[in-house]
Amino acid sequence: MVLDLWFVFRVLVFPGFTFILFLTMFCDWLERKIEARMQNRVGPNFTGPAGILQPIADFIKLLTKEDIVPRGAKKTIFKLAPLLAFSIIVFAMSFLPVDGAAAISNSSFTGDLIVIMALVTIANFLLFLSGWASANPYSTIGATRVLTQFLGYDIPLFLLALTPAFLAGSLSISAIAASQYLPFVLLAPWAFVLFIVALQAELEKDPFDIPHAESEVVGGLETEYCGGKLAFLHLTRDVQVVFGAALVVELFLGGPYGPVFFGLPEFWYSLWFVLKLLAVVVITEYVTCLFARLRIDQVLTANWKVLLPLSVLSLALTVALATWIYPLVV
Amino acid sequence: MATNDQDLLATLQSRMGGNVQIQLGHLGKASVQVKADFNRDVLKILLETDKSAGISALTGLDMGETIGLLYHIRTNGAIVTIRTEVPKQDPKIPTITDLIPGAVFHEREAADLFGVVFEGHPNPARLVLPEDWPDNLYPLRKDAKLDDATINSEASKSQTEPVQPQSDGSLVNIIIGPQHPALLEPEKFSLKVDGEIVKQVEPRIGYVHRGVEKAAEQRTYLQDVYLVERICGICNSCHASCFVESVEKIMGTQVPPRGKYIRTIILELNRLHSHLLLLGHAGLEIGYETLFQYMWRDREPIMDLTERLTGNRVIASTLTVGGVRRDIKETDIPKIKTALADLKKKMGFYRQLYEGELTLKMRTQNVGTLAKEDALKLCVVGPVARGSGVNIDVRKEEPYEAYGEIPFKLITYNSGDSWARFMVRLDEIYESISIIDYALDHLPTGSFRVRVPRVVPAGEAVNRVEAPRGELFYYVKSNGTAYPDRVKVRTPTFANIPAFLKTAEGGNIADVPANFVSLDPCFSCTDR
Repeated sequence: MVLDLWFVFRVLVFPGFTFILFLTMFCDWLERKIEARMQNRVGPNFTGPAGILQPIADFIKLLTKEDIVPRGAKKTIFKLAPLLAFSIIVFAMSFLPVDGAAAISNSSFTGDLIVIMALVTIANFLLFLSGWASANPYSTIGATRVLTQFLGYDIPLFLLALTPAFLAGSLSISAIAASQYLPFVLLAPWAFVLFIVALQAELEKDPFDIPHAESEVVGGLETEYCGGKLAFLHLTRDVQVVFGAALVVELFLGGPYGPVFFGLPEFWYSLWFVLKLLAVVVITEYVTCLFARLRIDQVLTANWKVLLPLSVLSLALTVALATWIYPLVV
Repeated sequence: MATNDQDLLATLQSRMGGNVQIQLGHLGKASVQVKADFNRDVLKILLETDKSAGISALTGLDMGETIGLLYHIRTNGAIVTIRTEVPKQDPKIPTITDLIPGAVFHEREAADLFGVVFEGHPNPARLVLPEDWPDNLYPLRKDAKLDDATINSEASKSQTEPVQPQSDGSLVNIIIGPQHPALLEPEKFSLKVDGEIVKQVEPRIGYVHRGVEKAAEQRTYLQDVYLVERICGICNSCHASCFVESVEKIMGTQVPPRGKYIRTIILELNRLHSHLLLLGHAGLEIGYETLFQYMWRDREPIMDLTERLTGNRVIASTLTVGGVRRDIKETDIPKIKTALADLKKKMGFYRQLYEGELTLKMRTQNVGTLAKEDALKLCVVGPVARGSGVNIDVRKEEPYEAYGEIPFKLITYNSGDSWARFMVRLDEIYESISIIDYALDHLPTGSFRVRVPRVVPAGEAVNRVEAPRGELFYYVKSNGTAYPDRVKVRTPTFANIPAFLKTAEGGNIADVPANFVSLDPCFSCTDR
C-alpha cells in the first residue's frame, strides 16, 4: 500500500503530471518574456511577479469561456482530439528520467526512445485530425500543413535521435542519459545543431511556423476552437515545446546528471534537468525571433534537399568517428 | 520640354483641325476639348508622341444636360486633360481600355457614379457601389435623389450565397475577404487557383465607400480640408496639401515661402511614418514579428514629432488654404534634428536586415515581379512604379511646395519584385530625413500663412502630390460660392491595384500576402 501511494505521487505530482503542467506554464511564460524582450516589448507583466502567473490566468480564462462545437464538425473527433493529443504528449514525457528515474517507475526499457517518437507522431496526427474535423477551410489548410510539415521533419528528427543512441549503444533513454559522462553535444555537435533545427520545425516555430501563418490561414487548425478545447490545444502546443526541450536534454545534454551534486540526488537531478531544459527553450525561442516565416514549398525543399541528406551525413560522420568518440563515452 | 509640348499641341491642332480646342496651362499642362467621338483619336496622338503615357484619373462632371468626362492623361511628366461631354439621356462613349489598360478601374468607377456606359469595356461590373444599390441611381449626379433610394434586396441576396468551387477544369475559387486577417481593411479578392498557383484574381472594392466626393460638395472649402484628411489616416497631410493646393490654384493664392517649407516638413514626416509602418507591417505578413515590433517602435518618435509640430499625432489638421496653421518653434528645430539623426542611425540596421537576412529575402525576392513595360501599361504610381525601374515622382516632375528648392535623389530599383518595392521605401526614408534636415536649415523667415476669403472664385484646377504610396490626384471645381462644385480624388492604391492583379497571376498562393503588402494597399483611400 505504501508503495502504491508513492507510485501515485510520482505519476500525479512529481515528476509526473503536476510537475509537467507547472513546468509547461513556466516555459510558456519564459518564451513569451524572451520573445517580448527580443522584440523590445515588456511581455506579460501584471499577473503575479513579472507576470509569471499569466499563462495560468490565460488557461483558466479560456476554461470559463463558452465552448462551441460548430455545426458540420465531426463532433467526437473535434472534442476528443485536443484532450488526447495533450494526454499522449504528457504520457510520452513520463518516459523521460527527470529525477534520475522516469515518472512511472521501471517503465524504462530498451526501445522506449522509439516508443516516444511514435507517440509524438500520433499526437501530431491527432492535431491534424482536430483541424480536419473542424469543417472550416482555414482549419483544413492549417491541418494539412501540420501533416505535410510533420511528415517531412519526422524522418530527419528520428535519424538525428539515432546519433546519441548509437553513441550510447542503447535505444533506452535512461541508458542514453546515463552514459553521458561528457554530454553528447560536445562529442557530436553537428548532430545537436541539426536536431535543434529539426525540432524547430517539429514544434512549428519560426522560420517553420507555417501551420500558424495567421496572414494566410487565420488560426490554422485552431480557427474553430474556443473555450476549454482551445485551452487544451494551447496547452498541447506548450507541452510539446517542453517535451522537445526535454528530449534534447536527455539525448544531448546529459539528461538530469550534472557536474555538481551532493546530498539528496533527486533534488540535484531535477534541478539540473530543469536548468538544461530552460536553456534549450531559450535557444529555440531565440531562433524564433531571428527569422521570417518560410513558405511551405521552401520548407519542404529545405527538408528533403538539405536536412534529410545532412542528417544521414551526420549519422555517417558519427559512425566514422566512433573509434575516437567511444573512449570518451562511459 | 517646352518645345516638345508646343510640337505636341501643334500636331493635335493640325491633325484634329477644328474638332479640338486647346487651352494651355489649364487643368495641367493643357486641356483639350473634343467631341465625344474624337477622344480616342486625341489619345492615340498623345500615345504616339509618348509611348509611356498613362491615365492619371478620369473625372466625371455633372454639367446639367450633359456629363463631362475629363481624361487626365499623364504624359512626359505632366497632365494633359482631354475633355469631352456625353448627353445625360444617353451617356455612351467608347472605352479607352484597349489603348491604356490601366483605365479599366477608372472607367468602372465613372460608370458606377455617373452612369456613363463605356462601350467595349472588358468587364463593366460594379466597382465601388454595393450590389444592392438601386439601378439607375448615380450618386454623383446633381439630380440624384439619394433619400428615395430603396435597397435592391434581390441583388443583395445573391451575393451572400457561398461561392461553390468551380467544376470547370481544375480551377478552384478561393475568396480572400471581405474579412480576413491578412487584410486590415474590408476588401474581397476572388482567386482562381490551380493547385497552389493563382490563375486569375478578381477584386471587389467599395466596402468602405463613404461618398467623400459627394460629402465634399456639401461642405465649405475650409471644412473640406478636414474631410479629405480623413480619407486616409496615414497620408492625411498629403490629401490636405493636394486639396488646398488645388484651391490655391483656383484662387491664385501665393503661399509664403515659410509656409511652403513647413508644409514640406510635415509631408515628409507623413512619408516617414507611412514607410516605417509599411516596412514593419511587411514583417508581420511574412511572419517576421521581431522586425514588425522594431519598426513600429521606431515609428513612434516620428509620430511624436508630428505631434510636436502640429498638435496631433496622426491626423495633423495643420494645412489650410493659404499656408499652415502653426509655425515651427525655433526651440523645436534641434529636437527634430536629433530625433531624425537617431532614426537615420537605426535605419542602417534595417537596411542591413533587408539586404542580408536570408529568410526575408526568400519570401520577398522574385515574388510578384512587375516588369517595367507592365508598370507603364497599367499606369502604376509611386514606389510600385519606382521598384520596377519607372522613374516617376511628382516631387521631381512638377515640384510643389518647396521640393523645387530642395535637393534629393529619386530612388529606383530595377528588379520589380516585392523586395525592390520595399527597398525603394527604405531608401526613400533616408531621402526624407535629408529633405527635412535641409528644409530646417534653410527655413525662410516671414509669415507662414496668408488669410484668404471663404468664397472661392469660379474655376477649376487639377493637382498632384507625391503621397507615400504614390501620386495622389485631385480635381477641384468651384462655382464661385463657398462650396465646391466637384471634388475628385484619385488615390495611389486605386492606380496600383491592377499591378497586384497582374503580379498575383501565376504566383503561389502563399506569396499573395507578401506580394499584396508590397503595394502598401490602403482601401479606405481607394474607396473614399
